[in-house]
Amino acid sequence: MAQATIKERKSLSAWLAQEKVFRLIPFIMVEATFLLLLAIPFILTIYISLLKWRANRPFEQAYFHGLLNYVRVLTTEDFWWALGRTFYFAGTAVMLELLFGFLLAMLAYKQFRGRRIYITIFLVPMMVVPVVGGYNFSMIYIDSGPLNQILSPITEAMGVNPRIRWLSHPIAAQWAIILADVWQWTSLTFLIFLSGFAALPQQLTNAARVLGASRWQIFWKVHFPLLKPAIMIAVIIRSMEALKLFDLSVLLTFGGPGTSTETIAFFLWRQVWQFNKYSFGAAASILLLFMFGTLIFYGIYLLVRERDIVEEERME
Amino acid sequence: MASITLQNLVKKFGETVTAVAGVDLDVSDGEFMVVVGPSGCGKTTTLNMISGFEEPTSGTMLIGDRVVNHLEPGDRGLGMVFQDLALFPHMTVFENIAFGLRVDKIVDTEVKERVSKVATTMKISHLLSKKPAQCSGGEAQRVALARTIITQPQVLLMDEPLSSLDAKLRIEMRTELKRLHEELKSTFVYVTHDQAEAMTMADRIMVMDRGYVQQIDTPLGIYRKPTNQFVGTFFGQPTMNIIPGRVENGGSPKFVSEHFEMSFAADAIPGSSIGKEINLGVRSENVSIGDEGAAAEVRLIEPLGDETLVFFSCGNEEFLVAKVDAEREFSPGNQIRFGFLPGGMHFFDVESGVRLE
Repeated sequence: MAQATIKERKSLSAWLAQEKVFRLIPFIMVEATFLLLLAIPFILTIYISLLKWRANRPFEQAYFHGLLNYVRVLTTEDFWWALGRTFYFAGTAVMLELLFGFLLAMLAYKQFRGRRIYITIFLVPMMVVPVVGGYNFSMIYIDSGPLNQILSPITEAMGVNPRIRWLSHPIAAQWAIILADVWQWTSLTFLIFLSGFAALPQQLTNAARVLGASRWQIFWKVHFPLLKPAIMIAVIIRSMEALKLFDLSVLLTFGGPGTSTETIAFFLWRQVWQFNKYSFGAAASILLLFMFGTLIFYGIYLLVRERDIVEEERME
Repeated sequence: MASITLQNLVKKFGETVTAVAGVDLDVSDGEFMVVVGPSGCGKTTTLNMISGFEEPTSGTMLIGDRVVNHLEPGDRGLGMVFQDLALFPHMTVFENIAFGLRVDKIVDTEVKERVSKVATTMKISHLLSKKPAQCSGGEAQRVALARTIITQPQVLLMDEPLSSLDAKLRIEMRTELKRLHEELKSTFVYVTHDQAEAMTMADRIMVMDRGYVQQIDTPLGIYRKPTNQFVGTFFGQPTMNIIPGRVENGGSPKFVSEHFEMSFAADAIPGSSIGKEINLGVRSENVSIGDEGAAAEVRLIEPLGDETLVFFSCGNEEFLVAKVDAEREFSPGNQIRFGFLPGGMHFFDVESGVRLE
């Protein structure tokens, strides 16, 4: 027994004396940070999600509740509505961002006078703090705001009161949020596609031209397939972000009218901070983590597969 | 089939850069024309104007008897092989070769038939389902050629197509390209910076430098009678010896350089060079080493196998080179005498570099 301890101690000191220990030191820091910032809150969240605890009661009175919170989340209709709405917002916004980003990049990838200024201007929205962007849009949409000013010749001609309260109509409010998101994030897809276009080899275009392909054919047969990786990257990066849509909902409509612009992130926030349903919120966020996690991993899988195909071709 | 005619073709980039300064060229039907020159000489720009990627600043281009200045590249009835081959990486070899037919919306059965026929000619039938990146350098080269010739272009343009290959393969492909030219009987315009490639493949060569045409002639014509010093030194391995000096006429003509003198028979020297400062150009095979002539010391030996290059100098650091039979043995430090063969001397004007006749 004693011998074993000595042996262990010896091997430990021998292990410590090795050079590879130094290589591990940075990892220890990283792991510690990970534990502190991610693992502990994560485990706490799981723990809370298994309790029956509302913030208006002391924590000591909380009791173990099993998986009941999860059942409750999954049977709450508003949860599913908010989730569906989030996918609807994200899907529509990302699709529009891809379309506009692609078209803008197509216009900007060739050399022309003032190209740099043009590109810089199109990148500005991305750099605006989301809260500021959201606030600006709320100013644009208010009933005495510039949007109604611009539309007033038309609305007056139609005999409608020009002071339209856009954000009070469920569908208009939804589109107000989608458009604000599109305004802000088209810059990113534009940037991704711009680099995609810039990476297209000119010789391939020339080769296709000599072989008699029209501009249309060159685009669909040569450029578009080669841009596929860039498109995938844009879809995945933007979707991941768009599913977390929160600030625009808060700033423009505060989830309203009714719950028509309540995204899943907003729903969670409201459950926890307005209704104090801590355990419920914890369970819902764990469920969302798994849902979005699956999606993200699938996205990354697609991305890696795309990259592997390209690399494999290069290797051989 | 088609000839190509370029009339005073000029290309300027902006106000200051003149890439091509007036090229006149007639390439006859079925000819193998090689355009050669150092980088920046305007040869690729000339080719890009023929293909339609660059618009000429002025001048006329005809393919056959049709002015093609304003035609799209695809409407000029030509095929092109690019320096980096420009195979479509996302398509299989089959689809790459079929591209020219696909854009013409030719029916599937005919596409299959024609692709397999071309693939057989180019010996790449086994590659059809692969992607270009899976092909070796030589295979990719054949694929690029197959893609170009499947539409049966009247004119084939090639922009340094062999530059990405290793030395051995490059020499093999030269022969292959010549064979292809014999078979297709179409007009070839081939751009390269490699003088050996130009010599071995061309029916005629156009030499360019700094946007100007220097000489258009057959390979041997250019080798034997270069119009100026640039052309003389550009062709031939090793580079032609250039010796600055003066031609004097004291009874019999005499060439006087800083380190040696040499007299010649009167008919060996062009009359216009007498009394002038000139650069004497002599190729290594026209330098004789023997018992007569100027004295020199052997400095370096480079055996080539069948022949040996002997580098020698006349008391200075400028080496002259002679190509001698490998049987003859020299070693550094040997004292020798050398002379020039009468027919192998080129007299270039010092100022203009023009050959004096």
